[in-house]
Amino acid sequence: MMTCEQCLSELTTGSLREMSPDSPVMVHCATCPDCAHLTTLLRDREYNAANVLNNLPPMSNPITVAETSVNLARRRRIGRVVVMLSGAALVVTIWIAAATTVFPALRRSDIVTSSELRTETISLSCLSPEQAADVIHPYIRSRGATYYMPTSGISAITVRGNATELAKARSQIEHFEQDPGAACRHTLGSTLKMLQDEISAAQKGTGTGAGANKASTEVKERPEQPERPQPKERPEPKERP
Amino acid sequence: MRLNRSGKRGGRDASPSGRVSHRDQTAHALDAQLVSLAASGDDSAFTTLVTRCQPAVFRWALMFAGDPDEAEDITQEVFVRTYRQLGSYRSDGSLEAWLYRITRRAAIQMRRTRSRRNRLALSPAARPLRDVYTTDPGGRVDRERAATVIHELFAELPRRQREIFDLVDLQGLSPAEAAERTGMKPVSVRANLFKARKAIREGLLATHPSYRELSR
Repeated sequence: MMTCEQCLSELTTGSLREMSPDSPVMVHCATCPDCAHLTTLLRDREYNAANVLNNLPPMSNPITVAETSVNLARRRRIGRVVVMLSGAALVVTIWIAAATTVFPALRRSDIVTSSELRTETISLSCLSPEQAADVIHPYIRSRGATYYMPTSGISAITVRGNATELAKARSQIEHFEQDPGAACRHTLGSTLKMLQDEISAAQKGTGTGAGANKASTEVKERPEQPERPQPKERPEPKERP
Repeated sequence: MRLNRSGKRGGRDASPSGRVSHRDQTAHALDAQLVSLAASGDDSAFTTLVTRCQPAVFRWALMFAGDPDEAEDITQEVFVRTYRQLGSYRSDGSLEAWLYRITRRAAIQMRRTRSRRNRLALSPAARPLRDVYTTDPGGRVDRERAATVIHELFAELPRRQREIFDLVDLQGLSPAEAAERTGMKPVSVRANLFKARKAIREGLLATHPSYRELSR
C-alpha cells in the first residue's frame, strides 16, 4: 500500500493520463481523501486546459490566409530580388570608385607601398661611400632595412628600405653632395689659391714689395692636384689574356 | 491532423511507427500531391492545403504564443513561409513534421521581433491591444479562456519545457514522438517533461498536508 508521500511523489512527475484505476496511485486515492481530491484537481485542470486549447478554432478564413500568404510570399520574393540587385549595384559602384580614385591616390602617396622594402643605388660624386653611410645610418631603421658599401671602389652606395627611408637617404646625400663647402670640393690648388688671394689682399693693405710677389709666382707654378677621396682597397685591373 | 476533445489526435492509435494504416497512407499521398501541385503554381491546391492544415498549425502556434491573437499571426507567417519553401518539401517525409518545424522557427523569430519592438516602443499605450477582432462573442470568450489557460500553465515555463508538456500531456503525443517532432533526444524530452510537470503541479500539490514532509 502506498503512503501519501509516495503518492505525491508520483503525482509530481507522473503522467495523469496513463493512470489506470488499478494503478497504485489510484488504489491509494481510493482510501485517502486528501490525495484523491488533489489527483482529481490536477486531472481536471490538465483535461480542461487540453480541452480549451485543442478545440479552439482559428478565427481566420483559410481561403483568406492562403491568398494573403501567396501575395505576401510573392511580394517578399520581389523585395528580395530588389535588395540583391541593390546590393550588387552598391558593390560594383564601390569597386569602380576604388579602382578609379582611391587605389591610384594611395599608390601616388606611397601609403600602399610604404611598407614594402625596395633597393636603390645612389651614385656619389663628392662623398665617399663611408661618409654617405655615416649620413644615412640614423634614417635606416625599419625591419630588414640596410645599406651596402661597394668593395670594388665604385663611388656609390646601395640602400635597402621602405619608400620613406629611401627618400630620406636620397635627400640627405643630395644635400651633402651639393654643399659648396663640402670637404671634397677643396682641392690643394684651390686651397693655395685661396691663401694667395688672402696674402695679396694683405700686401695691398700693407704695401710690401717684390718678395711677396715672388712667393706668389712660385705658388702659381705648382701643379694642381685634386684631393678626391680614394677607396681603401682598389683591386688592380686584371689583364685580359 | 485534427485533435479530438480529450487531446488525442485523430487516428493516432493506429499511427505509431511500423503500424501505418491505409488511411494515413492515403492522407500522406494526398498531402504530397497537394504540395507538388502548389509548388508547380496551382494556387487552388495551396488553398486546399491551408484549409487542411490550418487548425493543426494554429494549435501548435498557440503553444508558442502568448494568446490566440498572436497565434493567428504566427499561423499566417507559417503559411507565407510554407508557400516560399514548397519546393524544398520531400515527399517521403511527413508533411506534419515539416510544417511543425516551420511553425517552430516562425514562432521563435516572431517572438524575438515582437520583444524587440516592445523594447523600442515609446509607451505600451501606443500599441493596439488586439491584432484580431471578432464579432462573435462566444468565440471571444473561448479565446480569452484559452489565453487564461496559456498564462496560468505556461507563463513561468521555459520554451522547451512548455513545448514538451504541451505536446505530450495536452496534445497526447508519446515522448518518443515528441522527441522526433522537436529533434531532441528522448532523454532530454523526459527531463524537460518532468521539470515542466513539477513546475505546473507544484502549486496545487503544496496544498496537501503531507507535501511539506515530502519536500524536506
